[in-house]
Amino acid sequence: MRTITRKDLAAADGQNGVRIWVACRGLVYDLTDSFLWKGGKHWVLHRAGEDLTAALDEAPHGVDFLERFPVVGRLAD
Amino acid sequence: MAKVAREMVEKAGVNVDQLVELLVKNAAAELTTFYYYTILRANLIGFEGEGLKEIAEAARIEDRNHFEALVPRIYELGGELPRDMKDFHDISACRPAYLPDNPRDVKAVLNVLVEAERCAVRGYTQICHMTAGKDHRTYELSLAILNEEVEHESWFSEFLGEGPSGHFMRRGPTSPFVSKFMPSL
Repeated sequence: MRTITRKDLAAADGQNGVRIWVACRGLVYDLTDSFLWKGGKHWVLHRAGEDLTAALDEAPHGVDFLERFPVVGRLAD
Repeated sequence: MAKVAREMVEKAGVNVDQLVELLVKNAAAELTTFYYYTILRANLIGFEGEGLKEIAEAARIEDRNHFEALVPRIYELGGELPRDMKDFHDISACRPAYLPDNPRDVKAVLNVLVEAERCAVRGYTQICHMTAGKDHRTYELSLAILNEEVEHESWFSEFLGEGPSGHFMRRGPTSPFVSKFMPSL
């Protein structure tokens, strides 16, 4: 599986038409086609291009919501 | 705007601009859901559809009531609704509750309905977490809406055979929890 650096992740912030990626538990998901991630923002509180592992603990949903979307790689340490 | 009301919420540590944006997105979800449920309800025909039509209608009217109840709070906190009606669809906190490709597939319609309610349950749960103990008025309003959304979810979930909901569908006036925020009801 491809390794994605934090710099690459940060660049995929959904601004100016770029892809919308988020990382969670070591994997990077492509959420570009998600209605709820339009413009790289989710629920006002979260931004694309970030590692949202900690945020998931406080989310009203589980990782299963992310698992509906393609994995583009593993986040580099 | 209710200037001091907003100040109190800010002083309690709530990011009021973020909260207002969330309330507007959820209001957008309620209004668009009211519209999409109109189409869903209209397509619940035949023996199977008829059994679902009434609870779809109760959920539809109550979601409209939720929109009405949210509007004053948005303005009290210094926010505003979108100028253009088209924006409601784009900013909605939940996916559009589109009619399924096969409108005669009642189970598919039920899945659309239950997923819409589940999105609302998650959304208002989040707002309750943000406002509990800090913004008492928004918390009470969100909790009232959450109570009704949980009931909506449980009605549709029961129809899907996922287990008993434990109660009957609505009898009498709509919005038993939210109506106190709506003087017109």
